[in-house]
Amino acid sequence: MRFDRIRFDRILGILAGAATLWFAPAHAADEIVVGFATAASGFMQAYDKPAQDAALIRIDEINKAGGLLGKKIKPVFADTKTDQAEGAKAGLAVLDQGAELVIVSCDYDFGAPAALQAQAAGKVSFFLCAESIKAGIPGVGPSSFSASVLAAVQGATMSEWAYNKKNARTFYRLLDSWTVYNKGICDGFDWQMPHLKDAKLVGSDTFKNDDASIASQITRIKSLPKEPDAIMLCTMMPGAVSAIKQIRAAGIKSMILNGSGVDGSYWLNAVPDLSNFYVPVQGSVYGDDPNPKVNEFNKKYKDVTGGDPSSQYVYPGYVLIDVWAKAVERAKTTDAAGVVAELEKMNNEPTLFGPRTFTKDLHHQNQGRYLIVDTEAGKPKVVDQWTISEKIPVDYLVSK
Amino acid sequence: MSRPPSVIRQTIVTPIILIVVLLAMAALSYQFGSRAFNRTAIEMFINIMVVVGLYAFVGNSGLLSFGHISFMCLGAYMTAWLTIPPVMKSITLKGLPAWLLHTQLPMWVATPISGVFAALFALIVGRIIMRLSGIAASIATFGLLGVVNNVYSNWDSVTGGQGSIVGIPPTMNVWIGWLGAAVAIVTAYLYSISRSGLALRAARDEEVAARASGVDIVRERLVAFVVSAFIIGLAGAFYAHFLSIVNPGSFYLRTTFITLSMLVVGGMYSLSGAVAGVVAISVLIELFRDLEKGVSVGGLTVGLPNGAQEIAIGIITIVILIYLPSGLTRNREFSWRNWPLQRRRLVPPVQTALKETN
Repeated sequence: MRFDRIRFDRILGILAGAATLWFAPAHAADEIVVGFATAASGFMQAYDKPAQDAALIRIDEINKAGGLLGKKIKPVFADTKTDQAEGAKAGLAVLDQGAELVIVSCDYDFGAPAALQAQAAGKVSFFLCAESIKAGIPGVGPSSFSASVLAAVQGATMSEWAYNKKNARTFYRLLDSWTVYNKGICDGFDWQMPHLKDAKLVGSDTFKNDDASIASQITRIKSLPKEPDAIMLCTMMPGAVSAIKQIRAAGIKSMILNGSGVDGSYWLNAVPDLSNFYVPVQGSVYGDDPNPKVNEFNKKYKDVTGGDPSSQYVYPGYVLIDVWAKAVERAKTTDAAGVVAELEKMNNEPTLFGPRTFTKDLHHQNQGRYLIVDTEAGKPKVVDQWTISEKIPVDYLVSK
Repeated sequence: MSRPPSVIRQTIVTPIILIVVLLAMAALSYQFGSRAFNRTAIEMFINIMVVVGLYAFVGNSGLLSFGHISFMCLGAYMTAWLTIPPVMKSITLKGLPAWLLHTQLPMWVATPISGVFAALFALIVGRIIMRLSGIAASIATFGLLGVVNNVYSNWDSVTGGQGSIVGIPPTMNVWIGWLGAAVAIVTAYLYSISRSGLALRAARDEEVAARASGVDIVRERLVAFVVSAFIIGLAGAFYAHFLSIVNPGSFYLRTTFITLSMLVVGGMYSLSGAVAGVVAISVLIELFRDLEKGVSVGGLTVGLPNGAQEIAIGIITIVILIYLPSGLTRNREFSWRNWPLQRRRLVPPVQTALKETN
């Protein structure tokens, strides 16, 4: 009974108490606040943390070089807990701390709630590494950007490169319909195919990331009169490993083309001696990037975090701060209108990890330089680089 | 001999207390809370709608349902279809019928339609599922959740598939959230004191006796199912306006289990329990989130590791259920008499049966 009587008052008491705890700390005038509304727990943390670390490295470099507009950049953080409703709150929390730039989760679905809050507050938002066309104007609004390159560009790049450099003429399209990212890769491939003269799509199939077996899909590939030159595999971790293993175990030797989602060597020992396997990356984590500055960055990343970058998804975080800071310097203000205008003027702006272009219609990359990583006998290595010959039209991307 | 006071006279204080207390919370949050805190308050009100909706079915019928979050999904998507500007819909949701594609309704019209849509769906599927009883019915509702989730995850041209659909006007604030919770509470209350609600509770406590007294259990369950689907459909619509994006992943296992545990922690056979469970868990979640962020003690920030909140909530839920297996309110309702909790007038069911056989 004792419990009954106090409970009611206690609930109210706690609520009132909690309410008084909420006071936004004022920030000093000689600081520019950058807010990270990203996942520090939950599954998105695995994607957000590495890119965020890279962003912090760039912030540190800028601060050491004298800051931005003579002010130091001060990062503030709020955890989205890999939850959409929490994401919106995290966005508000960093805005309340005076964030001029709101950096949101890698994935569109999880980043959008925070980005929408930033948009409503008239601030610039950047997705750490989202690769959907929605991560920007169509899905958030005119002050939202993404630091990565569209998934569709990956599919388009791989097919055009394989056609030109590997003489691939027959393609097989295998889509894992689990995520929008996977579909994006295949959308780019679909757009590219009609542009490749004599290239033929000999078959198309789908599976789901968590399918234990893709035996029936493999049977259909095996029953083709001739093994296709290339298989466009639109998938991501963790299901990718199993699919790749099964394809190779069935004796299919066709080259496998992928999106960047399978970059990294952490899983390669699960498919021993994997060969003829190609991945597009913005920068190489294998220490053989043609740009020595990328290798320097990798070293710095290891010094700061204690480990090598696990995949290319570290890099967009660095690019993000880089292009934003440049835009702020040029606009001489952190106001959204000025910064957005300067960002939209960027045309093939060089960054460590490939050029960036933003326009009034697109705050994302519909064309981009990719390094091609070839894995032979289980060893990944950069063998080439490729930029698709034509930009993928925005209308096509939005309609998908 | 004086007539006993009517059911309404005896029980009307419960919804009044609940609504007034929630109003006080809304006012406190509005007055003192930051924007992020206000969102927490709105989220709590929406959760109250969901859990009160669950109570309308689970509390009155005694059947556990794992499928009610699918009604939230139906309501949220219906609202999305009705409120997103046609220009945006025609690009991303090409498969919608033309009349829906060119419609844009204000929130006040779209929300009730969403609730009715969920209720209609419940009426159709409920006619089948409500024939089952016990665990079979619970598993069937779980199947319903799976079916709805899969359809909404894969019908790309109509629902946008796995991805989020955007563009729902973010017209949500603490007061609207409170209003939604109040509507849910009033609806659930009116149902539970209705003829159907009383008959269903009788069947819950003593099925054979209820049948013998002429209660059509399948029919009464169906009524409860439809009423609860309506409330949860409204909650889905509110949620869509709250987040302004919807995707099928929001309306699946995680939401199902958190809302069910809120109901069980509060006390699943009472309306006060449904509301108290949500408030208690929401407050605890906020408290631990603050502890995770860290508390400054003399210039030093002490905080729990990230993710501690989820573990703590799990442990606290278990502890509550060990010591109070029938929930925080012990299945009683808030009332003036015997403040704050009044023992339900129902005598525990087993005893009733024994007395009657004796």
